[in-house]
Amino acid sequence: MAVSANYFDGQSAKDHPVTLDMNGTDLLFSGTDVSPTRWSLNGLYPLDPPSPGQPFRLTHVERPGARLILRDEAFIKTLVASSSHLKGGYSWADISHVFGWIIGGLVAVATITYICMALLPDRIAKILPNDWRNRVGRQMETAVVEGARICSTPKGDAALSTMIDNLAQGAPDMPPISVHIYDVPILNAFAVAGGNIIMTRELIEKADAPEEVAGVLAHEIGHVYHLHPEAQLVRLTGMQVLASIFTGSNGGNTTTNAALLATILTYSRSAEAEADAYARETMVKASIDPMGLKVFFEKILKIQGDMKGSSSTFKALGNLFSTHPGTEERIKEITPLPAGQVAVPALTPDEWQALKTICVR
Amino acid sequence: MTAPPINPPETLSFKYVPRPGLLKIALLNFFLGIVTLTIYRFWAKANTRKHIWSCIHINGEPLEYTGTGGELFRGFLMVFGLFILPYIVILKGLQLSLGETHPVTTGFGLLFAFAVYFLWGFAIYKQRKYQLSRTQWRGIRGTMAGSAMVYSLAYFGSMLARLFSFGWATPVMDTVLQEQITNDMRFGDAAFKFRGRAGPLYPTYALCWFLTGAFVIGITAFISYEAITWFGSELRALFDFFNGQTGESTPTERQHYLIGIIVLFIAAGLLSFFVVIPVLWAVYSAKEIRTFANYTSFDGAQFSLNARPWSMVWLTISNILLFVFTLSIARPFIIQRNLRYLVDRLSLEGAIDISRIQQSTAAMPKRGEGLADAFDLGAW
Repeated sequence: MAVSANYFDGQSAKDHPVTLDMNGTDLLFSGTDVSPTRWSLNGLYPLDPPSPGQPFRLTHVERPGARLILRDEAFIKTLVASSSHLKGGYSWADISHVFGWIIGGLVAVATITYICMALLPDRIAKILPNDWRNRVGRQMETAVVEGARICSTPKGDAALSTMIDNLAQGAPDMPPISVHIYDVPILNAFAVAGGNIIMTRELIEKADAPEEVAGVLAHEIGHVYHLHPEAQLVRLTGMQVLASIFTGSNGGNTTTNAALLATILTYSRSAEAEADAYARETMVKASIDPMGLKVFFEKILKIQGDMKGSSSTFKALGNLFSTHPGTEERIKEITPLPAGQVAVPALTPDEWQALKTICVR
Repeated sequence: MTAPPINPPETLSFKYVPRPGLLKIALLNFFLGIVTLTIYRFWAKANTRKHIWSCIHINGEPLEYTGTGGELFRGFLMVFGLFILPYIVILKGLQLSLGETHPVTTGFGLLFAFAVYFLWGFAIYKQRKYQLSRTQWRGIRGTMAGSAMVYSLAYFGSMLARLFSFGWATPVMDTVLQEQITNDMRFGDAAFKFRGRAGPLYPTYALCWFLTGAFVIGITAFISYEAITWFGSELRALFDFFNGQTGESTPTERQHYLIGIIVLFIAAGLLSFFVVIPVLWAVYSAKEIRTFANYTSFDGAQFSLNARPWSMVWLTISNILLFVFTLSIARPFIIQRNLRYLVDRLSLEGAIDISRIQQSTAAMPKRGEGLADAFDLGAW
C-alpha cells in the first residue's frame, strides 16, 4: 500500500514529494530526487503525537535533521499500530527523567538549606573578626534605635559600669560589651553584633530593683557570649543567598532594614535558654539575687497585654520575652541563691537612683 | 537533453492553526511551578513553545520548536553560577565585613547594576539566537549571524539616549536596534533585511507621550486634591500617628475609614498605571510593528503586518485581564494570543525560491537564555 508523503532532507528547504511504503521492520521511500531510503521502524521518532486531521511528522535517529510528513490517515493508523512507541505523548521515561531532576534539585536545596541554616551560622559567627562584628553591630544599633536619644548622665553612666563590673565578678570570661540606654517609651532590650547591648528608658523605669535590670543585662550578655546576633546575621545572609536561587534578587540590605533586623534579633528557644542559663549562672556566681530576673519576667508577662500599638522597630522586634512560647517554663527555671550564700546588691541605693534617672533631662 | 528542473518561486502564507492541549500545559506549568519552587519554569517554557510553534503554519507546514527545558536549565545554572551567585556572595561578604553603608559595598552594588544594564542587550540577542536555532521549518533552522556584544553596546547606548531625551529618542533607537537585530537574522542561509527611517513613527509617539503625561499629571493632581480637601486635618493626624508622635493614642474611627479610602486610591492609581498606560502605548506598538514589518524583507520579498491600534489595545487589555484573573495560569494562552495576533496579520508580498535555501552552518548554542532568565526578560 504505497502512499505519497513529503520529505525534507534537513539540508535544504526543498519539499520532496516521495512515495512511501512499509514492510514489517522498515519504512521505505523514494522520489524523483530522493534515492530509495530505508528507515527502521525502531529508529522512528514522532515530532508530535499523532492526532486526527493533522499530518504526522516523523524523524529518524540516524537522520535527526530530516523530516518525513505523512498525511494518509489509514497508513498512519497502520504504522502507529505496528510500532507503539510512535503514539508519543509523555512516556514514563520522560516523566521520571524530569522528576528525577526536580527531586534531585529539591534534595540538593534542602541539604544546602540545612547546612546554611543549622550547621554553619554558629561556626562562621565564631570566626568573624572583631572589627567586622563591631562595624556591623554599630550599623545595626543605629538602625534599631531609629534616631532615639541616647540617655547619659555622669552618675548614671558610672552606675551602669558598676553594675557590669558587679556582674563580671561572676563571669571572669565575660566578653567585652558596650551598653546603651535609649530614650524609647517601649519596654525592650536586645543585643546586636559586636557586644553592643541596647536597653530602653521604659525598661529602666519599670524596674523596681537593680537586680531586675542586672538580670536582663546578664541575659543579653548571654546572647553576646554565645554570639547569637552574629549567628542570626549569618543565617539570614545565607537565607538571602538561597532565596536568590528562586527570585534572582540579592535580598537587599540586612542590618539597616527593620523587618530583617526583627528576624535577626528573634532567637530560637534554645538560644533564649542558653542566654537564660548564662544569666542564672553569672548572677549566682556574682551573688546577685537571680529572683530579680524572675520578678521582672513576671512583670513583663503582665505588661504584655497592655502594650500599645506603635510602628517602630522596637515594636516590630517584639517584647523581650514574648517572642517565644514557654515563658512560664523559663520563669520556673530561675531559682533563688543557694541557702547560705549571701546576696550582694547589684547597686547601692544611690547608684540605683542615678541609673533610674539616667534618661531624665 | 532536458534542462535541470527549475523550482517555481513560492508565495508564503502564514496561518495559526490551534490544536487542543494548551490548557493541559498551562495547568501543569502552574502546579509543577509551585511544587518545584519555580524551578520547573524552564520545562514549562519549552513545552509551551513546542505547542505554540507547532500551531504556526507556513504554507501548510508547521514550525517546529526543538529546544528543551534541560537546555534552559543549564543556561540558568551557568549564569547563576558564574554571575549571580558570586555577586551575591561577595556582596554579602562586604556587608558583613565592611557594613552596608561602606563606600566599597555601595560601589560594588553599583558596579553590578551597571553590568546588568550593560549586558541587557546581550541577553536579548542571545535569547533571540537560541530561539532561532531551536526553530525549524521544513527542517531548516534559523540563527543570528552577528555579534551579541555589538548589539549590547548599541542597546546600552539606546537606554542612555532614552533616559536623557525623556523618551523622545525611543522611535529612533527602536529603529536602529530593530535594524541591527533583523539584519543579523537568518533562516538557513537566507537573510532578513531591514531598511527604513524612524520619522513616520513620531506623530504616533508624540500622541502617546503627551497623553501619558496628561494622564499622570491629571491623576496625581486629582488624587492629591481630593485627599487634601476631604481629609486634610485627619491626614496630618494620621502621619503623626504613623511617625509615633502621638505615642499611646489609637487611631479614631474616622482615621480607620481614611486608611480604607487611601488604600482604595492607591489601588485605583495602580490599576490605572498598569492598565491605562500599557493601553495608551499599545497604540504606539501597533504603529511600530506595522512600520517595522514594512521595513523588513526576506530574500527580496517584503513583509506586511496589518496591526491596527484598536485591535492592539484590545489585545493588551484582554491579556492583562486574563493574566490577573487567572493568577497567571493563562500565561501560555497570552503567549499564544500574542503570536496568533502577529501570524494572523502577517503576509509576505512577493514570491521566493524556497528550495534554494540551504541549512544554516552556524554552530548551535548548547545552552539557552541564562541571562535572559536572570534578568527576567519578558517571561517567555
